[in-house]
Amino acid sequence: MRRRVLAALLVLASACTNGDPPADANELLIAVNAPFSASPYVGHTILQGVQLAVDQIEDAGGVEAGGRTYTFRAQLYDSALSPRRALDNVRQALEDGAVAIVDEGTGLESTWSVAAQAQVPICVVYQGGLGMVDPEARPNVFRIAPTDHGVAFRFAEYLVPKGLKVALVHDDSDYGQGGRLAFDKAFGHTPDAIAARVSVPAASADVAPQVLRARRAGATALLVWGRSTTVAEVLRAARTAGWDVPVYGAPSAEDPLVREQLAERPEWVDGLTFASGRMTAEVGPEPFLEFQSAYHDAFGRDEVGVTTSAGETVFQPPDYAMYGYDFVNVLAAAIVAANGIDKAAVLDALEQVDARGANGDERGFNEINHDGVVDDDVYFAVFEDMTYRPVQDDPLSSTLEVIPQT
Amino acid sequence: MKRVMAAALLVLTACSGTVGGDGNDDALPACTVAPSPATSPTDLPPNFPTPDGVEYTSQEPAGPSTILEGTWYGATIESAFEGYKSAFVDAGYQITDEEREARDAEVNFAGGSSTGQVRLTVDCADRVDVGITIRPG
Repeated sequence: MRRRVLAALLVLASACTNGDPPADANELLIAVNAPFSASPYVGHTILQGVQLAVDQIEDAGGVEAGGRTYTFRAQLYDSALSPRRALDNVRQALEDGAVAIVDEGTGLESTWSVAAQAQVPICVVYQGGLGMVDPEARPNVFRIAPTDHGVAFRFAEYLVPKGLKVALVHDDSDYGQGGRLAFDKAFGHTPDAIAARVSVPAASADVAPQVLRARRAGATALLVWGRSTTVAEVLRAARTAGWDVPVYGAPSAEDPLVREQLAERPEWVDGLTFASGRMTAEVGPEPFLEFQSAYHDAFGRDEVGVTTSAGETVFQPPDYAMYGYDFVNVLAAAIVAANGIDKAAVLDALEQVDARGANGDERGFNEINHDGVVDDDVYFAVFEDMTYRPVQDDPLSSTLEVIPQT
Repeated sequence: MKRVMAAALLVLTACSGTVGGDGNDDALPACTVAPSPATSPTDLPPNFPTPDGVEYTSQEPAGPSTILEGTWYGATIESAFEGYKSAFVDAGYQITDEEREARDAEVNFAGGSSTGQVRLTVDCADRVDVGITIRPG
């Protein structure tokens, strides 16, 4: 295992004084701006995905462009889910000479323009908010992650035909508020399917009153869109009240923290169904399994902290890790296409190139679309015995294979 | 839309998988299952294109979205892929994403106050199955 991740405050012995990589730099900095302290799983899986690509590129001899050979190094910057810290981090990363920023998404409203002034690309690899990505207004912002638009529309396509009356329970985090906007956009076309929209504080340890409000509104399903702690608290509140309502969740529901927090009552997790980006592509599971194997070899398994009823240790597949991994490979392809590291040329090339993604699909962007995960690649998975598998009552999901988790 | 596959991606060989195929790698069996009778879809987005040769066989709502199924006899995966791309461009739609493999392809579109995806699959000779999801804007 190799870990070459440096702490954010590490002083760089670099010749650069203006934020640009020094002219003779062959090792290029990729900043990873993510909530390592506030949401450790999200932060570390992003970082490790980036690091795996960085290591593989180095092992393969680097990126040859313009008669030089480049390698990368990844460096973490902890946003702690604070927009202010995220902005400070981006400023620091640019001062450190970063050629790209891989970002969880917190604070993007202010970070993107700072990076744009430096002609440095930001790739969001977790949050899917509407408006975050706009090739015309924000030409340096890219995303490889399921979009809120895709998640909300896929949920509407999946849940409305079931005849369910859905109560959206969202928290007041950026993530939860973004979910509310996307929910309205998708479910607004079928208002009869909406029972209620209920907001909860992201830091609340007791959401029983809000869950009761959803129940009294006649909800026959809950769709929880918030941080992983919110998902766990909503499940706890519903089940404690004896309400056996089906619970659906945004991608945060697959965060190991949900299962950790409900480890004493695994039956409460059973049936929780979440939406996320498909791990495997049309070519089958082999590419993702190869990626997962390389990830495990490099970093070990991301253990969830729970076991199945048979006592097997459960680990989380590195699905969100593959997005940062894929971006590094697209960036490498862009540097090749740009024939070097001229910032404007690399930004332009990011719209022109593809790279084979961890799941076997092509990843890339173009002039009119900076989102690398299409809506139709959102699938649904359901928990059973602390592991999850694709649902069988959705056309896409039913074609996907179960990824081992024990 | 320009999509340049960088030539020097040999450094990225850790990403395995097949590069977009040409559709000739395996012989396809003859089609044995007849498709449903043709239907005429209604309430499609303005100017939504249907390439010559495509016959729709079903139209179903899925919440806010519309799901179309159909067939394209005499097409190959490559000709159907190019046919839908041309049809969208001619209809004033934007192609937001595209991918073609040996036996399947996707064309993502935006236009007519809608977004969505055309999925093309080939499981037997001389016929491409068409699946379309149309989402309101």
